[in-house]
Amino acid sequence: MILSSLCVAYAGLLALALAMDRHHEQVFARRPSARTSRLLGWAGWLGLTLSLPPTVTAWGWAIGIPAWLGLLTVAAAALVLLLPHAPRAALRLGPAALLCAPFPALLG
Amino acid sequence: MKDGFRQSMAWLHSWSGLLLGWLLFAVFLTGTIAYFRQEVTVWMQPELHGSIPDAGTAERAVERMSQLAPDAAQWTIALPGERSPAVSVSWRPADAKPNDRAALKRATLDAGTGAVLEPRETAGGNFLYRFHFELYGMPREIARWIVGIATMAMLVAIVSGIITHRRIFKDLFTFRPEKAALRSWMDGHVAAAVLALPFHLMITYSGLLLFMTMLMPWAVDLAYDGNRQAYFAESGFRRAPPPPRPAPQAAPLTPVAPLLAEADRRWADRGGVGSLTVTNPGRANATIELRPAESDSIGRGAATERLLFDGVTGRAQEVPAADPQPAAMATGNYLMGLHLARFAGPGMRWLFFVSGVAGTVMVGSGLIFWVVKRRSQRGRADTWGNGPEPFGHRLADRLNIGVVAGLPLAVAAYFWANRLLPAGLGERAGWEIEVFFLAWAAALLHAPLRPSRRGWAEQLWAGAALFALLPVLNLATAPGHLGNSLPAGNWLLAGFDLTALAVGLLLGFAARKVGRNAFAGKTVPAPVLPAGAVVEEPT
Repeated sequence: MILSSLCVAYAGLLALALAMDRHHEQVFARRPSARTSRLLGWAGWLGLTLSLPPTVTAWGWAIGIPAWLGLLTVAAAALVLLLPHAPRAALRLGPAALLCAPFPALLG
Repeated sequence: MKDGFRQSMAWLHSWSGLLLGWLLFAVFLTGTIAYFRQEVTVWMQPELHGSIPDAGTAERAVERMSQLAPDAAQWTIALPGERSPAVSVSWRPADAKPNDRAALKRATLDAGTGAVLEPRETAGGNFLYRFHFELYGMPREIARWIVGIATMAMLVAIVSGIITHRRIFKDLFTFRPEKAALRSWMDGHVAAAVLALPFHLMITYSGLLLFMTMLMPWAVDLAYDGNRQAYFAESGFRRAPPPPRPAPQAAPLTPVAPLLAEADRRWADRGGVGSLTVTNPGRANATIELRPAESDSIGRGAATERLLFDGVTGRAQEVPAADPQPAAMATGNYLMGLHLARFAGPGMRWLFFVSGVAGTVMVGSGLIFWVVKRRSQRGRADTWGNGPEPFGHRLADRLNIGVVAGLPLAVAAYFWANRLLPAGLGERAGWEIEVFFLAWAAALLHAPLRPSRRGWAEQLWAGAALFALLPVLNLATAPGHLGNSLPAGNWLLAGFDLTALAVGLLLGFAARKVGRNAFAGKTVPAPVLPAGAVVEEPT
């Protein structure tokens, strides 16, 4: 459950980053159109929202919320370190994480 | 007006951060390690590494207690778990007062054989834990005041930092290590601060709450007429009513195995039984109390749930319900519980640890940025202060070396001392701590004697080597090295070694960057900024 949440959070944060000109350029070497940017933004917020329920079902609200914030920190740290050093890897990790997310049992 | 406000906040941020920053760095670093203080202590007691729990551990421990302390008024048996391989027992002699903790006798038992173990004397992870809020070698009250004031400065720095930054969302993912030193240090500082901001706010505010009755005692003094003990008693900080006196008739203790089986079934998702407390063992009114290994409540620890059995018949007894907490107290306990993270399982514990590392990086990079910015303001990019430098800047830089690079080195030296000092040495725990402070003092003295860049590189390399070689030291001095712990799936010990190795590699990475002058970034002439200016960047 925890790793599912982490995967979805990473994908969501990646979409939010790609919605911004600076990071879109880092990855794709061009700016996003206004429409792409808006769609990516919505996808990002959706991802962040969807990453919350697994932690709350696993731990309840009292521990689930702090755990969720902690997972966001870890996911964002990974993204921030990957973007300048390996932008393509940062991009590929997004879909990979989304694919893994429904199978928490596989993730341990 | 608006810019004036932001500038004054920037000023407040840099000075509240700098003046107490060195202390805060030490508090963050040692406090972060303290999340794993039990694991650290186990690593520092190799005599426990051979203890392997099995299904009969609890019964064996109870049996051993009836030989060790047949006449005690109470036994407490903490069973091994994910965080400790051995059984920790304590007992209260029949003639000791119920609340006299000093009268408790303690021992450590091998989980597989029940034999009494003699682990080496060490303060272990507890030293680092205590240091993070009580420092060392000074009256406890004064030290807590100092840390309390530093914590307040931290809160001021966080709030003023948020106001100064203002583009939190837009720069959320921004980190440009390839840019000039001023820019990349700023990015790093901001990233460590913003990405773990909820943690930083929580840990700082709850840190103040933990000091609440010391820092702001007036409400309690007013309501309880100066009698703080009455407040503590009523607010439940000291619960545990005195246990019943032992009955005159002797009676054998019921077998514990069926009770444990029932409790383990009930607490399957809570790590099973964590501890047993036997009151009046061997007497007709004996009771056995079981608590789960993991708590599902942040604010009250495991106190919310326990099972109570008659110690002679083994029949379940009713547990008096815990008093409901008033809302304010529940809120306070929740926040303080988050700070202490006693409730946390391994996954949560790692999240807290990572956030703590982010806090340490935030403070450290902030300290470094203070110097880097002043160096760049002196007209040209003189990252290492090779030209003439004002005394204050030089002092701050050398303190940065001695603390940001020197403290990790001292922590590593503490672990080395644990294995290299003879196990039977008198005052051993004190000597380990002595080595820690000697290593730190050496780092602080070394820094001003070297040019800035050399000082950084040398201390970072020393810390890197000491940390990265800890698994080798473990291999040479203890049975619980990686060659044994990894195949056995013993993550408690393997986790320490692997984390030490990772820390060593990270320090080595930093040292290499310093050595190759990579932190200077591109030699872009930095703009001359007026003192205290808010750093703006072209988008």
